[in-house]
Amino acid sequence: MPTRARPGPVHVVGLSCTPLLPEQDAVLDELVFDAVSAALSECALRKADVGLSVLASMDVPDGRSISSGLTTAAAAGYLSDSYRLEADSGSAVAAAAQAVAAGDVEVAVAVGVHNPEHHATDDAGRRAFLEQLSNLAFEPAFDRPVGMTAQAVYGMQAAHAIRASGVTLQDLAELSAAAITRGAAGRRPGRRSPVTAAEVLASAPVAWPLLDLMFPAPLTGAAAVVLASPARAARLLGRSAVVTGTGQATGDHTWTGDWLTRPEATTARAAADAYRNAALTDPASSVDVVELSAPTPALHGPYLRALGLSGLPPARVSPSGGLAGGHAGLANGIVRLLEAVEWLETHEPRGRAVVHSVDTVTGTVSEEATVAVVEGV
Amino acid sequence: MAQRAAVVGVGITDATSPRKQTRSHVELCQDAVWAAVEHAGISPADLDAVVVGNIDGFEGTVLGGKHVTRLLGLGPHLPMVVLNTGGTTGGNLMQVAARMVRAGTHDRVLCLGGPTFFGVRDLQSAINTNSPMIVEQPLGMGGFHMGAFAASAYQARHGTTVQDLASVVVADHRKASANPHAHLRYTLTETEVVEGTPLSSPLTQPMVCPVSTSAAAMVVASEGVARSRTSPAALIRAMGTSSDPYLGGGKGDFAVMENLAALARRVYALADVRDPRSEFDVVEVFAPYVHMQPMQLEALGFCGPGEGIDLIRSGATDAGGDLPTNLSGGPKCTNAGVAGELAPYAYTALQVMGDAPESIQVPGARTGLAHGTGGSFFQFENLAVFSRLDPQEQS
Amino acid sequence: MTSPLTQTVHWDLTYDVHLGSTWGRFMQGLREQKILANSCPECSRTFVPPQAYCEACFVRTQEWTELPAEGDLEVFTVVWQGFTGGPTPPYAVGGIRLAGADTLLMHVVTGLDFTDPATVREQLPHGSRVRAVWAAERTGQILDISHFEPAG
Repeated sequence: MPTRARPGPVHVVGLSCTPLLPEQDAVLDELVFDAVSAALSECALRKADVGLSVLASMDVPDGRSISSGLTTAAAAGYLSDSYRLEADSGSAVAAAAQAVAAGDVEVAVAVGVHNPEHHATDDAGRRAFLEQLSNLAFEPAFDRPVGMTAQAVYGMQAAHAIRASGVTLQDLAELSAAAITRGAAGRRPGRRSPVTAAEVLASAPVAWPLLDLMFPAPLTGAAAVVLASPARAARLLGRSAVVTGTGQATGDHTWTGDWLTRPEATTARAAADAYRNAALTDPASSVDVVELSAPTPALHGPYLRALGLSGLPPARVSPSGGLAGGHAGLANGIVRLLEAVEWLETHEPRGRAVVHSVDTVTGTVSEEATVAVVEGV
Repeated sequence: MAQRAAVVGVGITDATSPRKQTRSHVELCQDAVWAAVEHAGISPADLDAVVVGNIDGFEGTVLGGKHVTRLLGLGPHLPMVVLNTGGTTGGNLMQVAARMVRAGTHDRVLCLGGPTFFGVRDLQSAINTNSPMIVEQPLGMGGFHMGAFAASAYQARHGTTVQDLASVVVADHRKASANPHAHLRYTLTETEVVEGTPLSSPLTQPMVCPVSTSAAAMVVASEGVARSRTSPAALIRAMGTSSDPYLGGGKGDFAVMENLAALARRVYALADVRDPRSEFDVVEVFAPYVHMQPMQLEALGFCGPGEGIDLIRSGATDAGGDLPTNLSGGPKCTNAGVAGELAPYAYTALQVMGDAPESIQVPGARTGLAHGTGGSFFQFENLAVFSRLDPQEQS
Repeated sequence: MTSPLTQTVHWDLTYDVHLGSTWGRFMQGLREQKILANSCPECSRTFVPPQAYCEACFVRTQEWTELPAEGDLEVFTVVWQGFTGGPTPPYAVGGIRLAGADTLLMHVVTGLDFTDPATVREQLPHGSRVRAVWAAERTGQILDISHFEPAG
């Protein structure tokens, strides 16, 4: 078998995110255009410089089949290479990075958008719609009729964790409270006020044992990143970070039970590939910060262990607050990358970050995890 | 480190109508995947990732691709990428898989396209949701109506008659009748095509693709893996995609496929193709509506504007002609959605590997062109150039 | 009794599709019997329906103009087989180039005799002049223009 050489590094030269809000009256393609054009402006590149655009979005929240028909031109895809993944935007970043590493393009854009074509007056109403879509993503003969949804999966996983691992509901509430409070002081607060563990415990029950403030507030928006080859990046202003490795993995089906008892396994596989590509042999001692995507506090510990980063001080685990404040659907992967790069830019010496994202369409069932290693330069 | 990518295994199931199909969606996918893996001479455990296509709303399950792939038993936590670009989903699968390999991070990636149209009771309604809502869909503009626009404009430009269009259908059916995997394997006369049920002028029922059920899969591998085989692989020499704007009204000229012509120039330059007519031994284009094939042949540089039908009538695109095109019968005789979109890539790869079904194999084919198109008013195009890659000489 | 081969699965999704400010303005114009277009500040192309940005120059569109409710019919098809929830066939849909527009506006076209399918193309030759007929009640949607009819 041929031995695998490391892929070439790929530079992050532009990164941008629209406001992340509970609802916004914008057509999907306008959000995509805003994020992509702002990311291109950061590095003074134009549409014609873009070799490939990879878009992350999903038809059902977008309200139309083949919604990329609407959004591709807004992703700088008019008359050029482009495609759309129905995946978290972390996957789009990995795909765009592969095209640059392959030498196929010098500049690639990845963009994720999430603005469900649905109006509700509160978070519960917004979640109810997303949960309806989640149910449609479950297997139709067995899982769908019995009401399986992402929240149900997360609830069962949390219940199992409490019973099997000794973590308490109080522990989970403290994790959520700390993260929400950290996020409220950040640049993109989904929830704007600090909260205490007691307030988390007093919030409305959503999927036993999980409570309202243990789930992210549903947000909408778009986030985009511009990637370039080292040679092209050397001549560009803008962001200065390097993606040295990415890894992806997809979780198992309902009936294997992995989603319940080993929810960390998918992230672990993605991390193993990312670390191998980045030649990172000892993450515990060489990673400064992680942007984790834990959709509930019960997944915080398992994901962190899977990344080999349990030893990081709490302030270095999702300094942005992670998903505790809010979650912008498939745009999340690039939002996490943005938060990580901003952290690297504001800390000397420039360090190394791990960016973790998952899709939340069917909870930890068939979960898609992406891990990227990013270094400040 | 960057490396070249090649197709090393292809699996295509036989096709039939949804009514006659006895295999389930998952079973069809399984048949195609196992055939591709076996043809590649690898085991499922060798796979580094899967790229799977689905079109939500056509399949009854959101992200249906994820389920199917998991049910195939391809190993726990295998990375799986779900692609959805509508009618170009199948054709784009290889574009994504090949970049994974070309980046040097993956050595063997599976592409899978299932029977997308299998099960939906009201297919036209699902297709219609990609017609631009708000401004174009409320006008009664659905799937084949968008297709009919170009046919109508092409007729107006070149004086093409309904008989001319029918001759293309006759040729397609003749080819499909020789392909064991095709769905509609009967031959038709021009009169039968012209007298078919009118759908949207000038299109009649036989001028539009059927709803088929089948699955297709391909294994894309590194050049190293490809050369270590004992039989030829299909090297991916060049590939690309191109996109028009969303609204049908932004296309400008419906009588010319400008987007495809621009993509062809780009991809030919990458592959250093100078004289497409003489350099390609085999071509498979995605032409679910009758007028698309002649228009595509023109956009791909095989003949001049308005000459596509004459080219087809001349026999040049038949088996034994100098430009064998759609010897599979193409999507007008078999279209199972994502599987049908992957088919031009699968058949072209098989042809240059020398492994196409015997009855449609172009003897000695070394260079091939595969094409895909889809989206609202066929706004998306994709292309790839394959060349035969011979195994390393054994010392 | 044989085992079941299929199971009925039904989707019931209701959407509130965002119009955004660009299409919102266009729809408001229709209520006032105005067809509004906007333009790209770099390539000067005029879009109807309007676009929030120019896909080619990749900049926000700017200037708004009102276009005449009359134009050339560049392409059309007669729909003999419709679809669930759609208009009753036969009906004709066409692409209309309003004077001053660089894009086509799609709409329903009337004035055709559908008795003989073979003659429909000759009845409205390429470039036939058509004009918008306004709906009596307008609510801010594309069918505020009832249809386009031959302008004679």
